[in-house]
Amino acid sequence: MKNGIILFFIIAFIACKEDKGIRKPLPPLNKTDNNNIAYAEGFSIEDNGNFSVLEIKNPWPKAEETFKYVLITAEEAAKTTFMRDAYDGIIIVPVENIVVTSTTHIPALELLGVEETLKGFPGTDYVSSEKTRARIDSGLVRELGKNEGLNTEVLLDLNPNVVVAFGVDGKSKSLEIIKKANIPVIYNGDWTEKSPLAKAEWIKFFGALYNKNEKADAIFNSIENNYSEAKQIAAKATNRPTVLSGAMHKDVWYLPNGSSTEAQFLEDANTNYLWHDTTGTGSLALNFEVVFEKAKSASLWLSPSYYKSLEDLKNANAHYTEFEAFKNNAIYSFSNTTGKTGGVLYYELGIARPDLVLKDIIKISHPELLPDYQPFFFKALD
Amino acid sequence: MVSQKSYKFTFVILIVVLLVLFLVNISLGSISISSETIFESFFTETSKLSSQEYIIQNYRLPKAITAILVGSGLGISGLLMQTMFRNPLAGPFVLGITSGASLGVALVIMGASVIGGVFASVLSSQWSLVIAASLGSFIVLTAVLIVSSRVRDTMAILIIGLMFGSITSAIVSVLSYFSSAESLQQYIFWGFGSLGDLQWPEVRIFLLVYIIGIVFTIISIKSLNSLLLGESYAKSMGLNIKKSRLIIILATCLLAGSITAFAGPIAFIGLAIPHMTRQLFNTSNNKILLPAVFLFGAIVMLICDSIAQLPNSDYTLPINAITSLIGAPVVVWLLVKKRRMIF
Repeated sequence: MKNGIILFFIIAFIACKEDKGIRKPLPPLNKTDNNNIAYAEGFSIEDNGNFSVLEIKNPWPKAEETFKYVLITAEEAAKTTFMRDAYDGIIIVPVENIVVTSTTHIPALELLGVEETLKGFPGTDYVSSEKTRARIDSGLVRELGKNEGLNTEVLLDLNPNVVVAFGVDGKSKSLEIIKKANIPVIYNGDWTEKSPLAKAEWIKFFGALYNKNEKADAIFNSIENNYSEAKQIAAKATNRPTVLSGAMHKDVWYLPNGSSTEAQFLEDANTNYLWHDTTGTGSLALNFEVVFEKAKSASLWLSPSYYKSLEDLKNANAHYTEFEAFKNNAIYSFSNTTGKTGGVLYYELGIARPDLVLKDIIKISHPELLPDYQPFFFKALD
Repeated sequence: MVSQKSYKFTFVILIVVLLVLFLVNISLGSISISSETIFESFFTETSKLSSQEYIIQNYRLPKAITAILVGSGLGISGLLMQTMFRNPLAGPFVLGITSGASLGVALVIMGASVIGGVFASVLSSQWSLVIAASLGSFIVLTAVLIVSSRVRDTMAILIIGLMFGSITSAIVSVLSYFSSAESLQQYIFWGFGSLGDLQWPEVRIFLLVYIIGIVFTIISIKSLNSLLLGESYAKSMGLNIKKSRLIIILATCLLAGSITAFAGPIAFIGLAIPHMTRQLFNTSNNKILLPAVFLFGAIVMLICDSIAQLPNSDYTLPINAITSLIGAPVVVWLLVKKRRMIF
């Protein structure tokens, strides 16, 4: 109760403080079609000259609410009043201090060259990128505990301009406390996008936060070009190797469904993913018998869960050794490409660089098409 | 009172039902396999197996045997606990044996990732899970027994068992908070229960521990029958209470502990099978009840597994859900119908 009262006064104080210096009302939003988003469905940026509005539509699967944020420079903000209730947050751009909560947000900051604005992260051990790792090691990035239970005290103490969160259902209590302390929280829904390029396009979301829209566009365009080039190269292949994916937990085999981004990579790499005709959200959970019957002689096996070697697979379940891909050493995984503190690089960089992921898979399935390319994420298990 | 003769008849029927269900269980699964292939697969050399024959020989057969061991073993440990504590609500789950085993497994799976290094590699074999689960259940049950030796009330003993269960689950929570996503996932999937995860080498180890447990159970039949009438009566019959208790505990731990380690915490079976059997046999003589519980447990588990495999679909349900969904209403129905609990 006592804490509640103190918190109330703190919030009331902060809230009052921010309302100073208000001059004129924010002009109504013109529906200009500056929305430069080609693939992503989860966000849009409406540029209105003096300010822009960032709208997040799909922060989590089946989300019913949308979130609107005003992105405005400090100079413009000083001349403007805010219809606070109409927006979920007013963010002064360019952002100078940021807290992000998923490793997938880190590459965007680095590609835009603003990694020094990162002040805190939950689970810093998962971060693999060398640049950010060095900053964590020298104490420039604070550890915020676990994503599901953020260390609110440290976060309030950091007082970032914005917290980029991701929500499974938008019911995080620690994020509510942060919002009440007038720190804007933006949900990043890159993981709910349906295609690899749509996920990568979320770099434009970060570009908007840093007033670096053009740079973000340029980065994305080059990734998009690389991706399409790679896809065209793959289309030249005459054979389509059959592909199995995933692994068992107990006797249930979890594998990506045909409409997932993983399956799309396999399609774009011109391979025959054995479950390409399935659809649905989440992954398929199939009985061992079905998978064995269908994929026993698959020529490739990609991403067998977290297993790091053939020996690991064999120890976990002797059935694995019966697959042709196991016998022919044709199992490839990204589990062995990790950072200094054990974070898997694919989970961090894979979303931002779909071009590299696609090239890796092309190199594995059609080695003759990319003779000089060295796979970045995927390595054969041995 | 039903005569000895009709028991023999019931036993013959149960054995036939068990054999039939065993065959049904092997022939049902996600893919349909012809009966000729099933028959041939028993005689094909391991190196020349087709994928369907491989499924029969190395997936469905060990799974069916595991189902028999799990059903009968849990039923028997439930019977042992109910007789020893003279309480119809006793069972491996209620008395903290399962939670003890869960703690052991949690320490191996998640403790390894917290402590890491050499400890993790030493403890990653299937043997370590059996040892940890058996040790865990032994420690928890011994603790329950030591504390309960000071209280006479059987309800208090059950509550103590539940409290120990809470303590172990609290430790598991702390471990899960600090463990890696992978090991957490591994532990959660272990918690769903699974019969189809065992290969022949593991089935052999399981069978070995199971047989030792059964031997201890058979040794204690006489003392179980004396205990039915109360500890003071058993003492007056010249029974060494401490020794018999130890043997019964050892038997329960070996059975419930190894089952929990290999197949996960299977709910309901341990508590319900003895009651269902008593309704059918109408006796409290353990010489008859033990083999009856063995057969009945095996039969129920084979039925549950056949349903969990959702024949001819690509999916499997967690066995734990099926045992509770099918079993609990059956017990309620039996009790309502008979209007009393035979105990």
